[in-house]
Amino acid sequence: MKRLLAVALGILTAIGGFLDAGDLVTNAVVGSRFGMSLAWVVGAGVIGICVFAHMSGKVAAVSGRATFEIIRERLGPRAAGLNLAASLAVTVLTLVAEVGGIALALQLASSVDHRLWVPVAALAVWLVLWRVKFEIMENVTGLLGLALVGFAVAVFLLGPDWGELAAQLAPQVPVEEDAGTYWYYAIALFGAAMTPYEVFFFSSGGVEEGWTAKDLATSRLNVLVGFPLGGLLSVSIAACAALVLMPAGIQVDAMSQLTLPVAQAGGTLLVAVIIVGIVAATFGAALETALSTGYSLSQYLGWSWGKFRRPAQAARFHLAMILALVVAVAVLATNVDPIAVTEYSVVFSAVALPLTYLPILVVANDPEYMGDQVNGRAMNAVATVYLVIIVVAAVAAIPLMIATEAGG
Amino acid sequence: MTGAAPLLPEPRQPGRVLDARLHLLDRQVLDVDSVPVGTLDDLELGPSGPGAAAGSPRADDPPLDGTTTVVVTALLSGPVLGTRVFGGRPPASRWHRVLWRHVTDVGTAVRLANRGDDLDLTWTERWVRDHVVGRLPGGRHDPDAGP
Repeated sequence: MKRLLAVALGILTAIGGFLDAGDLVTNAVVGSRFGMSLAWVVGAGVIGICVFAHMSGKVAAVSGRATFEIIRERLGPRAAGLNLAASLAVTVLTLVAEVGGIALALQLASSVDHRLWVPVAALAVWLVLWRVKFEIMENVTGLLGLALVGFAVAVFLLGPDWGELAAQLAPQVPVEEDAGTYWYYAIALFGAAMTPYEVFFFSSGGVEEGWTAKDLATSRLNVLVGFPLGGLLSVSIAACAALVLMPAGIQVDAMSQLTLPVAQAGGTLLVAVIIVGIVAATFGAALETALSTGYSLSQYLGWSWGKFRRPAQAARFHLAMILALVVAVAVLATNVDPIAVTEYSVVFSAVALPLTYLPILVVANDPEYMGDQVNGRAMNAVATVYLVIIVVAAVAAIPLMIATEAGG
Repeated sequence: MTGAAPLLPEPRQPGRVLDARLHLLDRQVLDVDSVPVGTLDDLELGPSGPGAAAGSPRADDPPLDGTTTVVVTALLSGPVLGTRVFGGRPPASRWHRVLWRHVTDVGTAVRLANRGDDLDLTWTERWVRDHVVGRLPGGRHDPDAGP
C-alpha cells in the first residue's frame, strides 16, 4: 500500500493528462472511428512524456526549482511570458472542461441536470484546493481514478478476437476516413499525452512533497508507473469503443456513450465502478489544471506558492486559483459544450509545447542545477528527437484543425 | 587613434565571476526562510564608492566617464518587468528595490538575509492576504496541523 501511495503523484498527473474529460471522449471517438489504428500514437506519447516528466522531476528534486521557474530563467520574460499566456489558456480551457465534466459525470450518476451540478462541482474543487493536504489529495484522487481500470476489465469481458484486435494496431487510415482526419486525431492524442501542465504539476508536486536528490528513485518510479498506466487506460477506452461502438456504427459525441461498451461487458456493477472512475479522473484533472494555473503564474512572477504553505502565506497563488474557477463557472454558464471547448486548446498547445520542453532539456544538462545528475547521452538523444516531433506536430496542428473542421 | 593609451583588459577579479544575464536575471529571489519574494526582473547599477551604494541613481548625478567602477546596487522586481517585456524606462521612484548588500547567496535562486514580509516589494501579497485570502474561513489554517 505504501508503495502504491508513493506513486500517487505520477498516477494523478497521468490521469490529468491522458484521462481528463476531453480525452475520455476523444479516446472513445478515436476507437469508434479508427479502431486501434491510432494506439501507436498513445505509445509514442507515453515515451515522450516519460522522458520530459522524468527530467522535470529530476530538476525539481536536485535543485528545488519547479518547471515554470526554469522556463522563466532560461527563456527570459518575453518568450516565457508568451508560454505563460498559452499555457494558461490551455489549463483554463481544460479546467472549464473538467468542471463541466464532473457535472456531466454527476448527471450520469444522479439524473439531475448537469448545469445544476456546475457550481457544486466548482465549490468542491475549491474546497479541496483550499483545505486538503497535498498528499491526501493526490492519494484519494489517484486511487479512486484507478477505478478506470474497469475499462481494461471490460475489454477482457467482451472476449474479443485478440488476433483481429492486434491486426488493427498497424497504423493505417480506415477506408471510410480521410488521411487529414486521421492525422488530426493523431496529433490530438499526442498533444493530450504531452500536454504541458503535466510537467508543471509533476515538478511542482515534487516540490510540494519536499523531494531532494534522495528522492530521485521515487520520481523515476512515479514516471514509470503513472504515465504507462495512463496510456494503457487510454488505449483500453479506445478498444472498448472499437469492439462495441464501431461495429454498431455508433458515433460518439457525449460522455454518456463511454458507458455503453462497459454496460454490455460487465452490467450495472461495472458501470458504477466506471462512473466512480470518471468522477475521480475529471475531479483529479480539475485539481491538476487549477493548481497548474496557480503554479505557472506564481513561478513566472516569483510569488509564494504551494499547498504546503498556509493559504495566507501563498495568498496570490490561492487568489489566482479562485479566479480560474470563477472563470470556469462563468464560461460554463454560457451553456457552451464543455468537451468542445478543449478542442481549441490545440492552438495554444502549439505555442506552449516547444517553449516548455526546450528549457527543461537545457536545464537538465546544466551542471549548475544538476551537479553530477546531468542527462546522459541516450536521454538527450531521445529528448531531442521528441523536441523535433513536438515542433512538427505543433506546426501541423492548426492547419489540420482548420482543414478537417476539428475532426468533423 | 588619437594617441590615447589603448584600453586595458579588465583586471582579473578575485572570487566568483557572475554573468548578470546567465546567473542573476529572471531567477527566483528567496527570503531568509526560503519563501519566494519575487523574480529578479532587473538590476540597478551605480558608481562604487562611499555613499554611492546606498542611494539610487538620480538625474543630477555627474555622468559616468568610463573610469568609474560600476557596481550592482540593487535588485529590481515588480512593475519593472513591464520594461523588460515592452521596453521603456519608468521613473526610478516607481521601482521596488532590494539592496544588493542583503543578498547572501547566488545559486539556482538568489537568497536574501531579510524576511520577505519586511520588503516593500511584497505589498501585493500582503494586500491580498489581509483583504481576501486571510479573511476567508480557514485561510490561516496550517496544512500540517490536521483538519
